[in-house]
Amino acid sequence: MKPISLKIKRQDGPNGRSYWQTFETPYRPFANVISCLQEIQKSPVTREGKKVPPVVWDCNCLEEVCGSCTMLVNGKVRQACTALIDNLEGPLTLEPMSKFPVVRDLQVDRSRMFENLKKTNSWIDIDGTHDIGEGPAIPDQDRATAYVLSECMTCGCCLEACPQFTLDNSFLGAATFSQVRLFNMHPTGATQKEKRLEAVMKEGGITDCGNAQVCVEVCPKKIPLTDSIAEMSRETSLLSIKKIFNS
Amino acid sequence: MKFRIPDRYHFLLLKLHSLTGIVPVGLFLVVHLAFNSLRTVGASQYQFGIDIINNIPFLILIEVFGIYVPLLFHSAMGFYLTFLAKPNIKIYRYPRNALYTMQRVTGAIVFVFLVYHVGTTFVPKMFYGKHLFEAAPFLIDIMNQEFETWGGRLIYLIGIFSATFHFANGLWGFCVSWGLIVGRNAQRNAGFAFAFVGLVLTFWGVATVWEFSVNPVSVEPNM
Repeated sequence: MKPISLKIKRQDGPNGRSYWQTFETPYRPFANVISCLQEIQKSPVTREGKKVPPVVWDCNCLEEVCGSCTMLVNGKVRQACTALIDNLEGPLTLEPMSKFPVVRDLQVDRSRMFENLKKTNSWIDIDGTHDIGEGPAIPDQDRATAYVLSECMTCGCCLEACPQFTLDNSFLGAATFSQVRLFNMHPTGATQKEKRLEAVMKEGGITDCGNAQVCVEVCPKKIPLTDSIAEMSRETSLLSIKKIFNS
Repeated sequence: MKFRIPDRYHFLLLKLHSLTGIVPVGLFLVVHLAFNSLRTVGASQYQFGIDIINNIPFLILIEVFGIYVPLLFHSAMGFYLTFLAKPNIKIYRYPRNALYTMQRVTGAIVFVFLVYHVGTTFVPKMFYGKHLFEAAPFLIDIMNQEFETWGGRLIYLIGIFSATFHFANGLWGFCVSWGLIVGRNAQRNAGFAFAFVGLVLTFWGVATVWEFSVNPVSVEPNM
């Protein structure tokens, strides 16, 4: 079998310039992008025979539930662990995500996603200095909906593929709106409903969605992100109308 | 330092951008195409339509505050939003992403077309001081000239298609961003419904262009 050829976009540090290097590794059945990167790491020599520093990348679970190995494989965003070589067209190109600051090579800093969760109060406040007791029961149907939303692993695919999300703007993005919906659905979380809605009614909030709906197409967890966005659009529209008459 | 809208106006301005696209700008487009399509019935019916409009009380106020101001606001916001966007249809080839890109492209085309359209109709009308009953034959003459060549017809066909597409797709965008259609099926079905609306409007416009092109008729002032 032909060796697997990988063209990798590299960058030595956060402020460094990016450059391309091509590596070759022997074909192996059932190989994925991560296993190829591990092969290269054993002996980081380019196709031209030049010895180079090993390629840096992020990965953890290797079963598409942690989201840390998200990168551009052949130009499109996805998790490297489930990118099976047999299903891909070669020669392969690997790039870091373009909408997050690069740390090194294929490793990016996705902390903006965590910051967005903090900005929108995307958690459920529980006991303070005193026990506030058990929460109310949640109907099965709501629980099923919430479960799907809770599968978000903040991998960043939806943001990378979003034409409204850029490296230098403040757009919160599909993942955040979906989490706001999740925590507003929860009976205890709903006590902070308006606070969360107000957080997505600023610059970078729900109005900045352009409805290109690429987010839902690329989401590896098949989360109904566009439903979440439209639902948040409805809630914020209603809140703004309510405020005209009630404030 | 890049220009940015202050947080407390951001939500309001973007909602107004969405709303003004439907009312009054979109509504005006429908009324405009409807009145112009009277030309397909006959030149005198078309003249009658223009006369009705020219006799609307406070017409200049309606034109300025009901059409020009909202249209300029919608356009200014539209260009501002378009320059912030990073279309990626070449990489992520999905139908909705194509419509997203088309919405921005057609918006820009309509704006350029409107500069031309207002420049060749409304501006000469103002310049020559034509008003009320005199305006109809004057405008009909202008339109006959516009549709004499294939170049002129093409400009109008592109302008009409861009406007109807932008409006029909904008109706869908409006319904999503105000939360009227939330679920995936609802959004898909509404997409087909609005595509039909767009086709009807396009047919309306093209029929009018056709009539002007194949059957130019001059009319006398209807006193």
